[in-house]
Amino acid sequence: MSSTDERAPEPTTSYEQAREELADVVRRLEAGGLTLEESLSLWERGEELARLCQHWLDRARERLAAATQEEDRPS
Amino acid sequence: MTAPSTPESPWPVRTVARKVADWIGRLGEVWVEGQIAQLSRRSGAATVFLTLRDPAADLSLPVTCHRDVADRPGLELTEGARVIVRARPDYYVARGSFSLRATEIRAVGLGELLARIERIRRLLAAEGLFDAARKRPLPFAPRVVGLITGRDSAAERDVLVTTRRRWPAVRFTTHHCVVQGPSAAANVMEGLRRLDADPDVEVIVVARGGGSVEDLLPFSDEGLVRAIAVCRTPVVTAVGHETDTTLVDHVADVRAATPTDAAHRIVPEIGEQRRLVDGLRARSRHLVAGRLEQQERWLESVRSRPALAAPERLLHGREDDVLGLRTRARRTLTHRVESAERDLEHARARVAALSPAATLERGYAVVQRADGSLVRDPAEVADAEPLRVRVAGGRLPVRVDRSTDQEDPA
Repeated sequence: MSSTDERAPEPTTSYEQAREELADVVRRLEAGGLTLEESLSLWERGEELARLCQHWLDRARERLAAATQEEDRPS
Repeated sequence: MTAPSTPESPWPVRTVARKVADWIGRLGEVWVEGQIAQLSRRSGAATVFLTLRDPAADLSLPVTCHRDVADRPGLELTEGARVIVRARPDYYVARGSFSLRATEIRAVGLGELLARIERIRRLLAAEGLFDAARKRPLPFAPRVVGLITGRDSAAERDVLVTTRRRWPAVRFTTHHCVVQGPSAAANVMEGLRRLDADPDVEVIVVARGGGSVEDLLPFSDEGLVRAIAVCRTPVVTAVGHETDTTLVDHVADVRAATPTDAAHRIVPEIGEQRRLVDGLRARSRHLVAGRLEQQERWLESVRSRPALAAPERLLHGREDDVLGLRTRARRTLTHRVESAERDLEHARARVAALSPAATLERGYAVVQRADGSLVRDPAEVADAEPLRVRVAGGRLPVRVDRSTDQEDPA
């Protein structure tokens, strides 16, 4: 799912912001008491945020791997 | 008395020489202290020539003495030695040269030397030259080290070998100089000036191997101590053995016990630094990776929560609701229909129960007059009146006949 993110420019929402909002979305979904339309919109937003978080984490993982590769190269 | 000299009647050389000799001869005997800068003995000659240098100022005096004075048992005259001389200023008329004619030479004792050093130390300490606040930190890993030391000395080798082993990238700018004797202090000061002026030199090491107190004397020279104090480049001293303390050690930014120790002070150990960096790097990578994994796990757990992972559940609940309501509605309706049916049944039963047919069935009969009205009282009907009796099986025409009537026992 990160492939869809590749072509997009760097998102303006930071990992922490996305993460916090995602946690909030899940909490609200779990608390219930929403209309069907509300809960569907909320779920869609949650998916989007989860993708965003995943994007940041994938990117971090790539950078870590790149740095490790560079370091392990014989100097 | 001689007549004053004029261009017309100048004095002969002998007269002037004698006058100078007389004047100098009147100066009398003095005790003078200095350092032997030069010592020349000519074999067979009865006179020994010395040059006596002032340890603080750049000037000197020629001293002559009889061989017996210089060779007195117990006195070891060497260049660089501090001496106290009893002498008479003397003018040698034959050559027009001045010298101090020594009649006694004493070596300055060790105790006296140390006491002298101590006096200078106190003086400089009072000026604040040795204050800890003046000490500058050494650079972490200097690119260029200035080294002042004796040519091909063990001290030089110790510093070079150990420093390069510890930090191979280091470069040296070396100032070789005399590290002993009367010119040593000036030589070292010259080296300091040169290296301090060199912008590449990041730290200066003054190194010299061990020696006697007299040998190390130049390193307690007041001028040298002051020169180190004004140096802009940090200075490390490594003079003598661990137990020797010279005044330069007090003024230096770092005092190393030995030249090898100086090497330890000026550069870090490359292997140790590498291990340190490797360790820090491993720790930081571990931390970052751990943090990342923790976040990945968190995200995984959130994504697998039913609220996100199974959006159809959002519908499930609703469908169940709809189904439930629908079921309830159906059940309610069915219930009501059934209850209506039951009501109907009851009504039917009651109707049936109220119908006379059932009563007739049990053997009762209904008696009607011709007009169809029911007979409820025997008095209502006349004798021989035709009536109709209705029983379960059907109708039966009858006529009233009271003759057969008997009182009903009931």
